[in-house]
Amino acid sequence: MKIKGGYFKKILNIDLTRRAAKETDVSDDFALKYVGGRGWGARITWENLQPVLDPLSPDNLVTIAPGPLNGLLVPASGKTSFSCISPATGLYADSNMGGSFGAEMRMAGLDAVCIRGRAPNLSYLWIDDGRVEIRNAEEFRGRSATETERELKDELGGDDVRVATIGPAGENGVVFATVNSDWGRNAGRTGMGLVLGSKNLKAIAIRGTHDLPVYDIEALLEVSNRAFDYLMHHPSIGIWQRQGLMSVVDYANAVGFLPTRNFTDAHFEGAVRVNGDVMESIYKIGDSACFACPMCCSNICLVKSGRWKGTVCEGPEYETAAMFGPNLGIDDFSFILKANELCDGLGMDTISTANLIGMVIEAAEKGLLGKSDLGDLALGWGNQESILRLIEMIARGEGIGAYLGKGSKGLLARWPELKRITLQVKGLEQSAYDSRASLCMALAYGTCDIGAHHNRAWPISKELQMGRDWGLKEKVDLVMYHQAVRPLFDMLGVCRLPWIELSIDENLYAEMYSAVVGIPFTLQDLLQKSKAVYDLTRSISVKLGVRRIDDYPPPRTFNDPIISGPFAGKVADPKEYEAMLDMYYERRGWDRETGIPKRETLVSDGLEDVAAELERTLGGVR
Amino acid sequence: MVCAEHHFHVNNPKKAAIRVVALYPNPVIRFPIVCRQCDEPECAKACPTDAIKIVDRIVRIDQGLCTNCLSCVDACPYSAIFTHADVSVPIKCDLCSGSPRCVPACPKAALKVTEHIEDQPRLRAKTVEYARFKEVSLPASAGGNIVIRYAGGGRSK
Repeated sequence: MKIKGGYFKKILNIDLTRRAAKETDVSDDFALKYVGGRGWGARITWENLQPVLDPLSPDNLVTIAPGPLNGLLVPASGKTSFSCISPATGLYADSNMGGSFGAEMRMAGLDAVCIRGRAPNLSYLWIDDGRVEIRNAEEFRGRSATETERELKDELGGDDVRVATIGPAGENGVVFATVNSDWGRNAGRTGMGLVLGSKNLKAIAIRGTHDLPVYDIEALLEVSNRAFDYLMHHPSIGIWQRQGLMSVVDYANAVGFLPTRNFTDAHFEGAVRVNGDVMESIYKIGDSACFACPMCCSNICLVKSGRWKGTVCEGPEYETAAMFGPNLGIDDFSFILKANELCDGLGMDTISTANLIGMVIEAAEKGLLGKSDLGDLALGWGNQESILRLIEMIARGEGIGAYLGKGSKGLLARWPELKRITLQVKGLEQSAYDSRASLCMALAYGTCDIGAHHNRAWPISKELQMGRDWGLKEKVDLVMYHQAVRPLFDMLGVCRLPWIELSIDENLYAEMYSAVVGIPFTLQDLLQKSKAVYDLTRSISVKLGVRRIDDYPPPRTFNDPIISGPFAGKVADPKEYEAMLDMYYERRGWDRETGIPKRETLVSDGLEDVAAELERTLGGVR
Repeated sequence: MVCAEHHFHVNNPKKAAIRVVALYPNPVIRFPIVCRQCDEPECAKACPTDAIKIVDRIVRIDQGLCTNCLSCVDACPYSAIFTHADVSVPIKCDLCSGSPRCVPACPKAALKVTEHIEDQPRLRAKTVEYARFKEVSLPASAGGNIVIRYAGGGRSK
């Protein structure tokens, strides 16, 4: 099929070792088959995959791909995916950021930027409408991500320039370092900041002026006007604009999945002091939105008095608030802002940071870690100073912080006995939803292709709404539907929140994509493409060693009952989980024993070459 | 983006006559820059070919007379006239001839067209109240004080 719009069909390839930049053309088949964003990233990662790849070697290729709807006048079109092999998990990973960075990349006439190699000195990329320069960034060494962004913007041309940066954590080997843009939008998970840091790349600055390619702009506007209209008249748009994801804190606490004290509990007695109302009435000073988003879920907050007076940051959203609040036994919202500001500046993932700190506090309380491990760090639930100090220690690689900076995998290699209190899957720390009350959520964590993250499936609210008697098959179906539709948003380069939170009709996105590329696609067509990409990312990780044994939620999910709240006493049933996983593999067309995608599955995805390669390297796919 | 779409029929915010400036972290404020349709426009005074005129109280650029010398861009005290390599004349708000597309498109209803009328002082007082900067002062690590300013607007209901 011939593309009539939607793509520049250009990828910019940067080799930092050779200081070379080259544009390559993209075929219509490639563009359509993998759509964009995470889809393109997965395919490019597959093609550059080597049998033994150190994620921190110069050969680990990073693909930054915005997606074909990014930058267009459609709701929330500001999502950009970073894909590569993760230093946290050693497996395929992608992480996406909001803001306007991807839109600017598209205005520069590029569909994606691929970066390999390693610069001899700390450097930054300056991409001005397709002209590329690799510039010295030594003056920014050790500087915070947010300061670096401000200074680069001022130097290069103010608000016309978009900048993505890493902080000190990405320079110092922290496997959950982030890439930060627009001062608070992070490609937060799986250590994308460290991969850029390992390439000696401090920042990427982009400016563009091109018209974005749209085949039928009238048709696009007709659909997107319907979408905007729907969202602006939604009864919940008001609370979304005022509180954003912070409104989830009360909900999570009420229904019983709010992570509390390293996920020992799922209900926090101090939740009312760290919820959306507190944020809105005491701390909020402004709204912020990603590109073309009517929901503007981001809040700018300032601490006006007290111990953390003067703290200002964009955020927090639910994950950060839940992980740095209840999960660490903290009921002081100003502290959450302080920790958020610190992590944004250091360029560190708030989920992994707070998850691991929670684990270390529990280990200290239980005597699993002692003075010889912790030094003079007086850790305890709710001890604000020691937590802030530990955050700094992680970013600088000091004391126990050096082990935390290596993530779950590094910690468990040093202290295997901590496994039963560590909340991680495949080496990625679990995000802020307790899954003991929701088998769907446990399966979502277990089978998410990047580790224990909620980005691929967030079935928890639907499952709780349907009640306990909902059948296992329906649960598996729901997880699989989420795992098809949510990554599709990441492929198109738009945000999933209008869908998951305000229930916008996902068919509208098929209409938009059709208008943009000039070829009619149904939602089913696009979901099939998304499924194929899921099988592809699975194949990458299978080639790197993932099997069924890696598809289980953290031990706590099955072992330690919830202490309080509506689900007090509950754990997930391991037998039910096994049954669901069997069913899941069956429905996916993956081998039940091993979890390897079957040949016929990959063939039906149009991935014959992937099937052949897996057969070659694994000695026959069952 | 609706601005560029309306005037140029393209998806390109770099061709819009309204831009948003974001200041962060100090002061924390985001505000639009757009032509104020001045009664005595500096851009018109600067134009060597008299291409800028007030028609129906809208300051317009006559494309036939404009030589794209960009004197008006320099002259505008609000930096509200923009340029783009593809466009042969400076880009300036024409209020969409009376009903600006950006106003209904703004999801926060932050844009409003106000007339130069007797009610203006009251409207302006409200705007000033919204934008009045509040301050937090705290000691800086390097000595002295840091003052963080923000628009203390109160929240939208």
